Amino acid sequence: MNTFSGRPPAWSYWVVLPSFVLLWALIAWWLKSPLLPTPLNVLDTLIRESASGELWHHLGATLGRVVVAFILAMLLGTVIGLVMGRSRTTNALFDPLLVLMLNLPALVTIILMYVWFGLVEVAAVMAVVINKVPNVAVTVREGARSLDYRLEEMATVYEFTRWQRFRDVWVPQLFPYLMAATRGGLALIWKIVLVVELLGRSSGVGFQLHMAFQVFDVAAILAYSLAFIAVVQLIELAILQPLERRSSRWRQPEAAHA
Amino acid sequence: MLELQIAGRSFGQPVLGEVFATIERGDRICLLGPSGIGKTTLLNAIAGLDKTIPPKAIIGRDKLRVGYLFQEHRLLPWRTLNANLQLAGATTAEADDHLASVGLKDYSHYLPDQLSLGMARRAALARCLAVKPDLLLLDEPFASLDPVMAGELKALIAGIMDAHPRMAMICVTHDGGDAEILANRLWYLDGRPAQLQWDDAVGEPRLINELLGKLRNSEGFDMV
Repeated sequence: MNTFSGRPPAWSYWVVLPSFVLLWALIAWWLKSPLLPTPLNVLDTLIRESASGELWHHLGATLGRVVVAFILAMLLGTVIGLVMGRSRTTNALFDPLLVLMLNLPALVTIILMYVWFGLVEVAAVMAVVINKVPNVAVTVREGARSLDYRLEEMATVYEFTRWQRFRDVWVPQLFPYLMAATRGGLALIWKIVLVVELLGRSSGVGFQLHMAFQVFDVAAILAYSLAFIAVVQLIELAILQPLERRSSRWRQPEAAHA
Repeated sequence: MLELQIAGRSFGQPVLGEVFATIERGDRICLLGPSGIGKTTLLNAIAGLDKTIPPKAIIGRDKLRVGYLFQEHRLLPWRTLNANLQLAGATTAEADDHLASVGLKDYSHYLPDQLSLGMARRAALARCLAVKPDLLLLDEPFASLDPVMAGELKALIAGIMDAHPRMAMICVTHDGGDAEILANRLWYLDGRPAQLQWDDAVGEPRLINELLGKLRNSEGFDMV
């Protein structure tokens, strides 16, 4: 076993998941219950929903909320994290509040937003943002604390503007933290968005899950979940991984001179 | 052009004592002294990096452009050499010129980590030049270089100083030999808190080593 050396062989990615689907198919075939549809049944539902346009409408609604909430949460969280990471006083002032927000259950925020502001879009998105901002802030704060003081001194001596300091000195150092916040954020946000939709919206994957739940339509529940997992995976492959490769290129430059 | 009125203790600066000196244009100062005595601290104070020292203690600092060669190159590892120099205020063409002047003509698009230590230090020196400095601060520019590379860098710095007679330089070093080649003035920092034990023009080269020997051996040597 070459556990420690090099990359694992390519086939190793294609063992567990197909086996799992096969197992699912076998059990479903054996049970013959509508509460556990076969993979083919789920695929069938997926195709039907997609053909009718329902799937795209609800996927789009959910994706829209995810994108807006994600951008707002990243911006706010980054600013808060930077300020708290750079200033001890600000950190001491706001740390208790941050801990409180971190431990506030998502469901509580959602219910309160809906109770206070009504079942409207703004309340739904705000609920998601409030849930996510503390996580981003904590991650970015870690990064802001570990900024290299030597480069700070350099930037001071060479009179970098605020913008240069942010773009050329801070962002490259914060990049791994921002990536971690992005990855964790995407996974967390879309799950919260589903709850928000389930509780108070009339569109989106969460709303469809709610409808399917009322008639115990397990095939639809699985179809919609898998569809959105695919969307998130697509974002990872098409946006996040290329971005990461591009921004980490400087880490392993080919040596020009020994 | 620059006047130091550092009253270290009363500023709450733990390392530096009273340092009073003036620096004129064309001064080439070698700052010598035992390891860990506070030479870099003094350099940081002059560069305005020491938060404990109020700006009014470094009179004339705000009107000067300062190029600081740190012990490590402190180039941004995620930016090319050219981009690093541009961040210090050079245009693309000027950056190329400065790089060429330190012997890195074809390395404009290289990343700092692709260079050897000696080349990275020369690139950092080029960045010092990119700000068109009135005062050049060099913190042990020859440390960790092999004798050949150190010699080349010494000649390079001497050449730069000759080409810019109105530029002043303060160079921290351990080696009296560096002072013979580079300096026309000598500072010796010693004591706890650290004070300038010697501040005078460099006379005959021979005398430097003699003087250093004397300064280094004199425990508790008082103010000159």
